[in-house]
Amino acid sequence: MTDQNKRIKDYFCKHTTRCTIEGVKKSKRFVGHDILKADAWDKVTGEAVYPDDISFDDMLHIKIKRAVHPHAILKDIDISRAKKVQGVVDIIVAEDIPDVRQFGLIIRDQPVLIAPGEKMRYMGDALAIIVAETKEAAKKARDLIQVKVEELEVITDPFRAMEADAPNIHPDGNIVITHHLNRGDVDEAFKNSAIVEENRYQTQFIDQLPMQNEAGVALYDERHGVVDIWAATQWLHDTQADVAQSLRLSKDQVRIIQPTIGGAFGKKEDVSVHIHLAIAAMRTGRPVKLCFTREESMITQSKRHPITIINKTGVDRDGYLTAWETKFVGDTGAYASSGPAVVHKGMYHATGPYNCPNLRGVSHAVYTNNTYAGAMRGFGTAQGAFAYEQQMDILAHKLNIDPAEFRLKNIYQKDSITPNGQQLTHSVNAEETIKRVMELSDWKGGRK
Amino acid sequence: MQITITVNGAKRELEVTPYTRLLDLLREDLGLTGVKEGCGKGECGACTVIMNGELTASCLVPAPQADQAEIVTVEGLGTKDDLHPIQESFVEAGAVQCGYCIPGMVLASKRLLDEKPKPTEKEVRYGLSGNICRCTGYAKIIDAVMLAADKLAVEGSDSND
Repeated sequence: MTDQNKRIKDYFCKHTTRCTIEGVKKSKRFVGHDILKADAWDKVTGEAVYPDDISFDDMLHIKIKRAVHPHAILKDIDISRAKKVQGVVDIIVAEDIPDVRQFGLIIRDQPVLIAPGEKMRYMGDALAIIVAETKEAAKKARDLIQVKVEELEVITDPFRAMEADAPNIHPDGNIVITHHLNRGDVDEAFKNSAIVEENRYQTQFIDQLPMQNEAGVALYDERHGVVDIWAATQWLHDTQADVAQSLRLSKDQVRIIQPTIGGAFGKKEDVSVHIHLAIAAMRTGRPVKLCFTREESMITQSKRHPITIINKTGVDRDGYLTAWETKFVGDTGAYASSGPAVVHKGMYHATGPYNCPNLRGVSHAVYTNNTYAGAMRGFGTAQGAFAYEQQMDILAHKLNIDPAEFRLKNIYQKDSITPNGQQLTHSVNAEETIKRVMELSDWKGGRK
Repeated sequence: MQITITVNGAKRELEVTPYTRLLDLLREDLGLTGVKEGCGKGECGACTVIMNGELTASCLVPAPQADQAEIVTVEGLGTKDDLHPIQESFVEAGAVQCGYCIPGMVLASKRLLDEKPKPTEKEVRYGLSGNICRCTGYAKIIDAVMLAADKLAVEGSDSND
């Protein structure tokens, strides 16, 4: 056993996450030490302040009227009955905010409120902002808003969305973005391969499900023209810039103040409560609060992309990968969010940690009327991992070799080149990882 | 309507509506924001309180039902300067990440250790089975409860001496 292996063994304990052992060389400050989390004391006593723990005197509560159909033109919205509910202070519809612009992480394709004549594209689209003295009054008024719509074809499948006769969800068509990948001579390599295996894989929507729902509080300082928003975000300055451009304010008129966040995992990269809070605070001049319910969070905010992956993989008689062709079709739902980057990145990881000299790939992020998909831990690579590891197992089975040995033959080493042309010039521990897993799991070859 | 409840040892008389949730009563009327709302449907355990000695999802309890009840929230355990041994163990074991589930986890641990001072790991897992955490993967939370059991045992033996 090498020194390096020994060290890993020393680090190993029953939970694998606990890595400090006496005798291991320690850095002066952090590495190799148990570091206590600075805010743990606040969190174990319940003193930590999360967005929905913030309250102001004289504070108003917001509820949002959401879409009534996943793909429909809004013909009419009637707030007359809702306005009569006792405690309702303001009901804001699109015509009240004609200057407000669309927002979005990569493409600004998401409207703040849907106006009559415009389309709702998924069940999370906002139609009206209800501001009231109490949550109950806001909710009651929300449920009294009457909406007339003209229903359109609901597209839930990205392959249907890409067909020529499918209605356009956004003006520029349903394919948000297409990326390509090309290296070597794939056709020639497939011709010379001993085995070529082609399969189609499908992953599903997954909600990141942080423990805390989207929530926030806002306050408008009229004298200085500054709106303060206490709400979670994973991109503080991007959110500030997006809120500012949407409301036609300068960035120094928008302050995003990050309270303690109850988990995010990618879901809180997108704007959620921020713009609606700012609009309500500025119109009413009073502090306002908006907390999503779990149901609302699930319907409205981003998901992990369902991606259809078609992998065609060639291998030679000795068990080395020869060529890999891949197609990624990601359902990014009603709005782009991080989709253009997520599906693109997924394709760049299509071969996983395995060397392959000849590559061809295409990826599409596609609009549908599903809840939009965005960032979630791994950013497109988790979907790809499911597909390439299945390919590796199937190929090992057909070659009749140990799937672990097959992986070791093809695994990235130092100086390997990834599909997007990056040379791995620093430490690459993939081989070591596989060998360690074989040892710890008492691997017996994987063949019966 | 009027109810009387004892919260963290203090007796309170409160005006509630029949549809006020105990969760909102504690958070909004009494300012005990350590009680968290995660799902509002009794699934996640973030709103856990100890009511009459039992773990209770406060989002599912109409406030009038808590009349005459004795309630403990996380604020009723230790303070930042004087942590309860369970809270101390959560800090030391690295069991806290985003922290949103932690008040419920701490109370579920307390309820468990009150009944079983020396639980097995399996009993700890069962005792925390009503509380979801999305950050940690639970391993360090279980470490924390085992550590707390040790700490409480030492404390207990000291006081017996």
